[in-house]
Amino acid sequence: MINIENVNFRYKGSGESGLHDITLNIADGETVLLCGASGCGKTTITRLVNGLIPHYYKGELEGTVTVNGRDIANTELYELASVVGTVFQNPRSQFFAVDTDGEITFGTENIGMSPEEIVRRKADITEEMGLSPLLGKSLFALSGGEKQKIACASVSALMPDIMILDEPSSNLDWKAIDELKNVIREWKEKGRTIIISEHRLWYLKYIVDRVIFLDKGQIAKEWNKAEFSSLTTEKLKEYGLRPITLEEKYIREFGGDIFSDTTENTIQYHTKADDIRIHDLFFTYTPPKYVVFKKKLTAENSDDYTLAVSDLSLPAGKVIGLIGKNGAGKSTFLRCLCGLEKDCPVKLTIGDEVVSGKKILNKCYMVMQDVDHQLFTDSVVSEVMLSMQDEDKERAENFITSLGLSGYENTHPMALSGGQKQRVAIASALAADASLLLFDEPTSGLDHKHMETVGELLKRLAVQGRTVIVSTHDPELISLCCEYVLCLEKGRIKYFRQV
Amino acid sequence: MMKISLDPRTKLFMIFAVSFIVMVNAVTPFEWGIRIAVTLIPILLMITEGKYASAFRFSLLYAAALILLKFFISSESTGFISAFLVGYCGIVAQFMPAMITAWYVIRTTKIGEFMSAMQKMHVPDGISISLAVVMRFFPTIKEEYGSICDAMKMRGISFGGGKVTKMIEYRMIPLLFSCVSIGEELSAAAVTRGLGAPVKRSSPYELRMKAADIITIAVFTVFTGLFITVKYIR
Amino acid sequence: MNDNKLKAKDFITVGIFTALLFVVEFACGMLGFIHPYIVASYVVMIPLVGSIPMMLFYTKIEKFGMITIMSVLLAIIMFVTGMGWLGAPLIIAAGVIADLIAKKSNYKSMKAIALSHGVFCLWVCANYFPVIVTSESYRKSLIDGGYSMEYCDNLFRAINSKTIIFLLILCFVFGVIGAYVGKSVVKKHFEKAGIV
Repeated sequence: MINIENVNFRYKGSGESGLHDITLNIADGETVLLCGASGCGKTTITRLVNGLIPHYYKGELEGTVTVNGRDIANTELYELASVVGTVFQNPRSQFFAVDTDGEITFGTENIGMSPEEIVRRKADITEEMGLSPLLGKSLFALSGGEKQKIACASVSALMPDIMILDEPSSNLDWKAIDELKNVIREWKEKGRTIIISEHRLWYLKYIVDRVIFLDKGQIAKEWNKAEFSSLTTEKLKEYGLRPITLEEKYIREFGGDIFSDTTENTIQYHTKADDIRIHDLFFTYTPPKYVVFKKKLTAENSDDYTLAVSDLSLPAGKVIGLIGKNGAGKSTFLRCLCGLEKDCPVKLTIGDEVVSGKKILNKCYMVMQDVDHQLFTDSVVSEVMLSMQDEDKERAENFITSLGLSGYENTHPMALSGGQKQRVAIASALAADASLLLFDEPTSGLDHKHMETVGELLKRLAVQGRTVIVSTHDPELISLCCEYVLCLEKGRIKYFRQV
Repeated sequence: MMKISLDPRTKLFMIFAVSFIVMVNAVTPFEWGIRIAVTLIPILLMITEGKYASAFRFSLLYAAALILLKFFISSESTGFISAFLVGYCGIVAQFMPAMITAWYVIRTTKIGEFMSAMQKMHVPDGISISLAVVMRFFPTIKEEYGSICDAMKMRGISFGGGKVTKMIEYRMIPLLFSCVSIGEELSAAAVTRGLGAPVKRSSPYELRMKAADIITIAVFTVFTGLFITVKYIR
Repeated sequence: MNDNKLKAKDFITVGIFTALLFVVEFACGMLGFIHPYIVASYVVMIPLVGSIPMMLFYTKIEKFGMITIMSVLLAIIMFVTGMGWLGAPLIIAAGVIADLIAKKSNYKSMKAIALSHGVFCLWVCANYFPVIVTSESYRKSLIDGGYSMEYCDNLFRAINSKTIIFLLILCFVFGVIGAYVGKSVVKKHFEKAGIV
């Protein structure tokens, strides 16, 4: 039983208030979905329940929160560990150990459980969640989906009655989301109380009992299961929510294509004169052995390579969606394409120029999934100018204005929001005069409105004559802005066609 | 081959003994003999763990350094190159045994086991928790640094425009930002799983000294004892 | 609730920054492979480069013990990676004293922090201990083996028991200078971004 009574909360050092007069009661065994735009307070509510507020994140808190009869404000976090378990958004940052075994038992070790009990629980969880193929592995070698599964197992090993999931699907592909769904369903069947804060709604449609819609820190709407599943996409859009059915349609359409085992290899595209042509994009994780000189990767042996695209024409000035399962080679494809893989002998024909080797780096620019890695300086304007051959402040400011960042010229890029940082990276790409812009999962973890903004922006970049390739798991983004779709499977082109 | 897995405490003792032996200089063939013997043990242990390539590489390097030092560099050799070589071979021959042992220990010990050994040795939880974080962060730093280098390449700023300060700044700043934010999230995830509870942490690994451990400890004690005896007492 | 006790979060912070500092040490150590003489310049490089993470670390310290634990961790890592244990007392002593100095001003005053960082940087010299201890006997054995005196002097000129005092002083001085350099970087980036 969770009771949140008249809670107001404001994060320390933040001007606007976080939560406004929240009253929420959640019964045992109930599954509740918290939704709403970024910054609406969903995550803050989960923190009230797991005790991170007020014990970890400081701020002004009014009202009371009780969980299973314990007053959260007067309960230490470690006492809550076996009552409330939390799975977080980012699989990369929430694990503590280095190997899967250590991670699963981490919580049980912390509360000083006896070795026999730890071993027993680990065996139970492994059995229950089918984790045995993952045991004994380094967490750094796992995919995002696998990491998230281990995170669920680690929390589950403490056997809490209440499970909190804070945007758990943000970094997952469809298959991993499906597995996550099964884990949640199993927890529900065991009678655990589950609270999920999430942007992607479709996979939860049949699981949740109640949906709470938050707006600017207040509970604005509440739906029961029947009401929620009957909401139309238009209605959801009004609330700024992502659809609950569209993605499923796409799963059948795209997912059906991607996940089926047919090996058809179709390119439905008629080449044009101004196409960007890709030649000899080969890459392998197991390079041929050599004595003195590295063997060049060539078309003859391409069957053995991890990734092989020997000839592909892409329409210039269009947005091209890059899809495929995790591990199909999407990221490697992008890395090769912008010249980051040294051993890849890729050549590009752009206009009447043929570029290869290091020169590709000047023609292509990738906006990374974790955009923090590509921001180096202490102000937005210097960040943009860093990309220029000859620093031209006026030009830089034009880019900044065109991307809606005016007013932030002298702000430190790291002080901006995620979406703004992304736009700073795009501005630097424009300043570098890149003609091919690559995006790696630009909308993972974004709410509907921000996803739309990104989609519009990509379209605009294409209209301005840049060719955009965007790798994504987000069908909504594809339907919003992609004119072409390129699907990879096992490092080969599965199909390339117009949407 | 049968795998001999040693207790982490035995491994720590090995490092201790080898570090001691390499710090005292060997002159006589007998002293060199002891040194080579203590180097061979971790190499053999590596082979039992199936790490043939590294065992081979280490032995080759060590042998090369020893041979060069013994036969090719004499009192007559002068000039820059030989000074260079003596410097290198001297250091390799001197400190290689410690490096080999350390490599063996690091590669064959699970962090969980190591933590458990620290608990057994009554190291305070605070230190073992911090140490676990250090271990977890080395690979994280490597990953983050890799992406930062990629980003630098794309912008052509890998060499900071020729300025050393910029080179350091461009590498360090994004790395620190990433590490701090990962650290925030990691702390939150760890405290919700009970880290910081005022109880003694436990471990699923039950460490017991086995015959192999006792033999290894005995062998290293004898070698160290012998070394001290011939060096100082005789 | 005892607020002076270190919490889980503090231990994690210590762990992260120790890892970062060790990576700096390791990167500089790689340069040392080019030639042993470069090893002597650690006393300048590590305090200066390491000061950036260290000054960020100092902004996160509120309680006694974090710097001390960091020094213990450095000693343990150096031991486990085969760099010897002779330096351990120096590292830990430097850590405790640095912690005490910074504590006096409650980890706030820049002067105290600079001084504290200077003392803390003495840990870098622990890298040289095995070389110093061995070099004396190594040199003797080389001379016994017929090498010329001059040659051996050359080999160990940079690092021996006499120059170590000088190296310790350099470490301290560059530690203090580094503190101001690191602080300016923290101001330029982290304070401006609102992280600290």
